[in-house]
Amino acid sequence: MSARPAEFVSHGLNADALRADARRESLGLLGLCSPGLVLVGIIIVLPIGWLFWLSLFDENGQLSGANYARFVEQASYIRTFITTFEVAFLVTGLCVLIGYPLAYMLSQLPRRAASVCLIFVVLPFWTSVLVRTYAWLVILQRKGLVNTWLIDLGLISQPLPLAHNFAGVIIGMTHIMLPFLVLPLYASMKTIDADYLCAAMNLGAPPTAAFWQVFFPLSLPGLAAGVVIVFILCLGFFVTPALMGGGKVVMWAMRMEQTTGLYSNWGAGSALGVVLLAVTLGLLGLFRWLLGARATSVWGAR
Amino acid sequence: MTRKSRFVSALALTGLVGCIVPAALAAETITVASWGGSYQEAQSKAFFKPTADALGITIKEDTTNGLDDVRLQVTGNAVKWDLVELGADECARGTKEGLFEKLDYGQIDKSGIDPNLVHDDWIGITYYSVILIYNTDVFGKNGPKTWADFWNVEKFPGRRALGGAFATETLTVAAIADGVPLDKVYPLDIDRALKSVDKIRSHVDAWWTSGAQAMQLVKDGEVDMASIWNGRASTLKDQGAPVSYSYDQGVLTADCMVIPKGAKNKDAAMKALAMFLKPEIQANLPLYIANGPVNEKAFDTGKIPADKIPGINSAPENVKKQVLLDPAFWGDHLVEAQEKFDNLIQQ
Amino acid sequence: MSTARSAPPINIRGIAKRFGSVPVLSGLDLDVASGEFLTLLGPSGSGKTTLLMILAGFVRANAGSIDIGGEEVITKPPHKRNIGMVFQNYALFPHMNVFHNIAFPLKQRRTSAAETAERVEKVLDLVQLQGLADRRVDQLSGGQRQRVALARAIVFEPRIVLMDEPLSALDKGLREHMQIELRSLHRRLGMTTVYVTHDQREAITMSDRIAVMNKGRIEQLDRPETLYARPRTRFVAGFIGESNFIPVESRDGSVWYAGKKVHTASPSPSSGRHWLVVRPERVRLAADAGLGANANMLHATVRDIVYQGDSFICYANLADGQQIALRDYCRSDVLARLPVAGQPVQLRVDAEDAILVADET
Repeated sequence: MSARPAEFVSHGLNADALRADARRESLGLLGLCSPGLVLVGIIIVLPIGWLFWLSLFDENGQLSGANYARFVEQASYIRTFITTFEVAFLVTGLCVLIGYPLAYMLSQLPRRAASVCLIFVVLPFWTSVLVRTYAWLVILQRKGLVNTWLIDLGLISQPLPLAHNFAGVIIGMTHIMLPFLVLPLYASMKTIDADYLCAAMNLGAPPTAAFWQVFFPLSLPGLAAGVVIVFILCLGFFVTPALMGGGKVVMWAMRMEQTTGLYSNWGAGSALGVVLLAVTLGLLGLFRWLLGARATSVWGAR
Repeated sequence: MTRKSRFVSALALTGLVGCIVPAALAAETITVASWGGSYQEAQSKAFFKPTADALGITIKEDTTNGLDDVRLQVTGNAVKWDLVELGADECARGTKEGLFEKLDYGQIDKSGIDPNLVHDDWIGITYYSVILIYNTDVFGKNGPKTWADFWNVEKFPGRRALGGAFATETLTVAAIADGVPLDKVYPLDIDRALKSVDKIRSHVDAWWTSGAQAMQLVKDGEVDMASIWNGRASTLKDQGAPVSYSYDQGVLTADCMVIPKGAKNKDAAMKALAMFLKPEIQANLPLYIANGPVNEKAFDTGKIPADKIPGINSAPENVKKQVLLDPAFWGDHLVEAQEKFDNLIQQ
Repeated sequence: MSTARSAPPINIRGIAKRFGSVPVLSGLDLDVASGEFLTLLGPSGSGKTTLLMILAGFVRANAGSIDIGGEEVITKPPHKRNIGMVFQNYALFPHMNVFHNIAFPLKQRRTSAAETAERVEKVLDLVQLQGLADRRVDQLSGGQRQRVALARAIVFEPRIVLMDEPLSALDKGLREHMQIELRSLHRRLGMTTVYVTHDQREAITMSDRIAVMNKGRIEQLDRPETLYARPRTRFVAGFIGESNFIPVESRDGSVWYAGKKVHTASPSPSSGRHWLVVRPERVRLAADAGLGANANMLHATVRDIVYQGDSFICYANLADGQQIALRDYCRSDVLARLPVAGQPVQLRVDAEDAILVADET
């Protein structure tokens, strides 16, 4: 096809009216979006901008980098930062190890059985995080169920340190985060046509090969979505580390709470928020790059 | 219940704020915010109801998370509360920020109240104590009796818990453990106290952040000794837990009440506050909870049964064994000390 | 490609399959000759796809035997059966490009990289997809996907190829084109092929033999022309091509309709009610031809004439109201004497075009 003469395009029959009509339609659509855009602006963009602005001022209202300098100067901030990411990586990893087989099993069950099992996955959402965390405390502490049983069975003589430490935080958070991984993963596994696996086996792939070469790659978008959700929720998690950590596992969000609540230092608290936001966005970018745009539909890529 | 958990009550707050009925339905209605829970229930029976009856006003109740709530209301020009209960150190900080109305000591009788707790715009209302508790199943009768014992890990091996969210209390305890005599604790040598915390730091198995957590740690045998609020300690004993404690070397700590700047029913609030502080009303409190009256004249009213008095932390005999947490000192030094303390224990 | 060298026959015996308590196949026998293109034709629910799935090993039968070239495979897992299959939706792996899709079966067989590349290249030539090896699957048209699926099913030179309605997703023109291509590919490679479709025209075009399936049984297994000319049941006659069904009665070794004896080529049936099957194109307007010795003449009244370009259909009613359709080509001599609606006509059906089938109902 050869290009049409320019004047034909610009001066064709009703060309101006059609162009005006297109513009009107765009404006109309923009109008429909505007309540959402305004809301996003007011409740997301403005506060984050304000947060950033606040973080640039020290306690005396002077423009300074003091709020950021303290992260480097104070060992406790660096410790907290490392702890936060240690916890987030470990919990995400455990959620994948436990959640993937669980989601896979659910996706292979008959519909009725799967929906019953899904209720059990979702059930914890109906209980407060606080209650679930206390329940773990009851199970894991020195005189809790696990240690009592293990001692009664003669497997151990001294109680295992499972609560009020790092291990307790990891166990409690993994339990709370698990549904956030399982649900998107299950949803994406459900959309994988059984014919793909039939085809793979028909073409000579034993079941394990069919799983790793066909099912697993196709489940990656759901896994990526779950991993990102869990990881980001972990970074900002508060209740479980506060209760299960025995005051010794301090995460970024707890530090923020102290800074704004106890020290009333909004500048420093904002700086904490800005750093967490920046690192989170950086990691999201890294995830996206690692997994490739195809596998990360959570960002709207095809 | 002496003091709220800063960490967990944030969750509850969102739910509770929604229930507030618009203020000033009648001219003589005031809203009092306190810490909620069994403590506020006791306060309600001991203070609020008798006062409302005596003055012919309605007292509505709400719960607060502390100074931040008051600051938000005052700076946001949306004051919902007429009287708010805070920790004494918070009152001292709020004073500096100008968040409270001046109190009228023509109406309020301050006699019988420790002068440390009487200020232009805030006044003490009740006492709680930070005390040492230990498990008698582990130590029998010969458990750690002093903070120096608590710090002595060779003589008293075992698992330990200290308050992690409230530097004021733990630093005071640490200074005593380091050998500072009770009458010389204030003004506190913060650096010395921090050094003392540093010594015990690695032997602390849990830094509790709420009264409920401290109680649970002791009750479930997670730790063998702990610092704890006296209200929680007495609850544990009432429940039959194998514990022992005394007021020796306790840290006597006050809660205070303020009228937030711009309160809508300031006059009625002033009358109510004067009433709360009267010895006869103050004497009601030990009938319902293990917190002590701030007004020592309450012990002269005869309302408190004689056999109960030795168990009350603010009874004159017990006050002598303890050190008063100095609110004015913490008003000036809390932020700095808290941050240093957090940095230390979070390393 | 040299599949033909060892294309084995398939001998299926006594296959039974129930889903829950619902029997889908009951005691089915079928022999597919070496190198044959056999089509399973039937309406949905007739069990043809289930039979194919049992052949491929995706569905476990309750009983029966599948013998492929002398080897029992009924308990073999699908990946050990070495059967190529083209799925209805193609089942191309969306996370792999064309090359990797086609190379997949070779990879499972540990074929060397060089040989894999060579064979993929060759099979792409065969299905006329040269130069598309690097395309993503979602960048292909429907016809191209179909070819990739086919290429993937034959690249490892399977002994047997199964196809489950492989053309049903294509539009009409492309479908007809692919029918011819598939047929010629089969002729060239000569693998034993079992093809499933519900499209009788497709089955007739492509197959060596057709097994017409109904309710889990094979109603008739024959060459396409035999099936068309000599359907053995009313179901087969109705499913393949268009048919007029005229109720007749058999007594004393003769067949009677409306008091007249009917000449048929079928052997004498047992007494009772039967159906006379007459293809519309075998009915003629009597004026068109002279009377044959074995011709049946039927009086009818034209109801409607539907013009279809190359041909027309004449709908007429027999004296007792029985409907009958007639089809003929639009030749000038026919058109010149075309009756109009309401006109009485004589219809002629030759004895060899009158097929008798049993009344099953």
